[in-house]
Amino acid sequence: MTEFVQYLVNGLTIGAFLSLIALGYSMIYGVVRLINFAHGDVFMIGAFAGFGTLTALGATGGMALPAIVAAVLVGALTTGAVGTGIAKAAYVPLLSSPRLALLISAIGVSLALEEGVKVLTHARFKSYPNALDGGRIFSGAVHVTWGQLALVVLSVVLMAALWLFVTRTMTGTAMRALAMDRDAARLQGINVERLILVTFFIGSLLAGAAGVMYGLYYVQISFGMGFLIGLRAFTAAVLGGIGNLPGTMVAGVAIGLVQSFSAGYVSSRWTDVIIFGLLIAVLALRPTGLFGERVVERA
Amino acid sequence: MTSPMNQPAPRDRGRRFRLLTATGAGLLLVPLAAACGSDGAGGSGPIKIGVPAPLSGDSASAGQDILAAAKVAAAEINRAGGVDGRQIEIVQADDQCSAQQGAQAAQKLLNSGVVAVAGGYCSGAAVPAIPIYGRRNVPFVMDASTNPSLTDTGKGKVFRTCGRDDNQGVVAAKFMTGELRAKRIALLHDNTTYAKGLADATADSLKQVGGQVVYEDALQPGQSDYSPVLTKIASTRPDVLYFTGYFAEAGLLMKQRRQLGLKFTLMGGDATTDSTVLKTAGPAADGYIATTAPLAKDLPAAGKFVSAYKSANGADPGPFSVYEYDAVKVVAKAIDDAGSTKGPDITEALHKIANFPGITGPITFDEKGDRTDPLYITVRVRDGAFTAYKKLDKSGATWVDAKTS
Repeated sequence: MTEFVQYLVNGLTIGAFLSLIALGYSMIYGVVRLINFAHGDVFMIGAFAGFGTLTALGATGGMALPAIVAAVLVGALTTGAVGTGIAKAAYVPLLSSPRLALLISAIGVSLALEEGVKVLTHARFKSYPNALDGGRIFSGAVHVTWGQLALVVLSVVLMAALWLFVTRTMTGTAMRALAMDRDAARLQGINVERLILVTFFIGSLLAGAAGVMYGLYYVQISFGMGFLIGLRAFTAAVLGGIGNLPGTMVAGVAIGLVQSFSAGYVSSRWTDVIIFGLLIAVLALRPTGLFGERVVERA
Repeated sequence: MTSPMNQPAPRDRGRRFRLLTATGAGLLLVPLAAACGSDGAGGSGPIKIGVPAPLSGDSASAGQDILAAAKVAAAEINRAGGVDGRQIEIVQADDQCSAQQGAQAAQKLLNSGVVAVAGGYCSGAAVPAIPIYGRRNVPFVMDASTNPSLTDTGKGKVFRTCGRDDNQGVVAAKFMTGELRAKRIALLHDNTTYAKGLADATADSLKQVGGQVVYEDALQPGQSDYSPVLTKIASTRPDVLYFTGYFAEAGLLMKQRRQLGLKFTLMGGDATTDSTVLKTAGPAADGYIATTAPLAKDLPAAGKFVSAYKSANGADPGPFSVYEYDAVKVVAKAIDDAGSTKGPDITEALHKIANFPGITGPITFDEKGDRTDPLYITVRVRDGAFTAYKKLDKSGATWVDAKTS
């Protein structure tokens, strides 16, 4: 029983990351109908930007809260800018091209980011200062650390902020209109290109924040870190009904729990078989996702 | 023992299109390989020695160390006048620690006319490379690939300056049951040729020395969060967890073991002594024990190499640097002895080498190409550094301090 609870705690932590990354896939798919393969790499850029900030501030183990906040902010803003730049350079010019062109462009951007960071970092691991080591909330049979709590709370706050933005603001409403029908949205006077860039900015912002949180929590980062987690987050986005934000958030946590429980009760080596088996099953049986409410057009 | 050759999983981090590009490049290379023939043998230019290593990917840090060590050895040989009056040139190839790239790297080295190969890191990348070198009779001296099958199936053309995992498994099993007095032992690998081979070898040895294996399974590398696996292992109540995988995961395991407050002793194999683990795990690394061949700073003969390496690279040598240095040196010696750059001649000369004064100890190869003297000791993390810990004495039954000798 205590193990069950521990798996639950571990799974929620993993799920917090997956949800944040999955939201970016989902938002971007919603407005551009593009599976942004570079999204996992944007997450990776965020982790490195945060690392650079902490190094520049000279932060070491047991660092102060201001340094952490600065790292998260710089990481998020950097990826926001990078994501917007990518969209402007590689996606917006191709909006009226066949969808395959966009997809190939996305794959190209992904490889360029990965290989670029690989060259810059000499393909080595970088290690964040060990900041979140101490501090357990429970340390009996089940272990929960303050770091885990902070992660889950921060991602819930970010997701709530996103939800309020999308449902309560003019820009958010425009975004939803754009997701429904691009031409009709344009006829309503919505600046489509600008709005697409805003979407990329926000989606990348979340991925960047997740990247820095990931670095703070797991410490070890490398140029390839965005690949596997990106694929799993993409699975979460599909599972939640791509384009459906609340569904994506729930599905991200669900995939985190699948990862944890499959390692616990089946075997860690089956984790990816199970997760990607789910992806195939959802695509085949329920292409709108488990919570999909509107039928999305597939590339 | 099951043959690790049957293990299908090279350490492949699933890079998109890797398979595609590997296949595509392979097709392109076929005519090239035929056209290039066997140039490089004879002639008067530099003698080319190939160094395959993971220069990118999760094991890149180890690969870069190996390449740097090869260059230090070559520079030293060249300063002393080269081999037969010819300079040594190191040709590098990135095997990314994967089977596909390993084959491609081997082909690339042959195409650039190397007369011998000294390098490698991941056993999984060496498996497909061995027959490729073998067909062209180019000898391959490995510095770090410890899977037993590599020399077993090498037809006498494969050598290594490092040890074998069946020897390492014996040492690990004896240490855990003897020195640590562990009864219940958990084995964790990552399904790569090396890690699975070492875990199986250790399990076999444990049977003989009376240790109980309570858990043997693989983690999925590259996912950063191993707390579910650790929680699962803790539920089997082991005294020791022996992780036989690579350093990329080892640091995370130490850190997460501590976060989960788990009490069992954590040990690892010889691919976990890279300095990356110390940076990642921080204070959580303290007390970690690894089975390994002696590290550079514990080898009295390696002092000169360590300072040469430091001045060339501005960093301490990695765990396999000394073995790569010896691999390049022994190849150069064999070329010199043979007075020829033809593969079969160099291979024959390598077999004849006896008590070559390597910095890792005297080097003599047995008929398979393995070193005749066993190598493994244990090291422990103390104050943020790996330090020599215990080794078996000559009788092979008692553990003594590894420093004293």
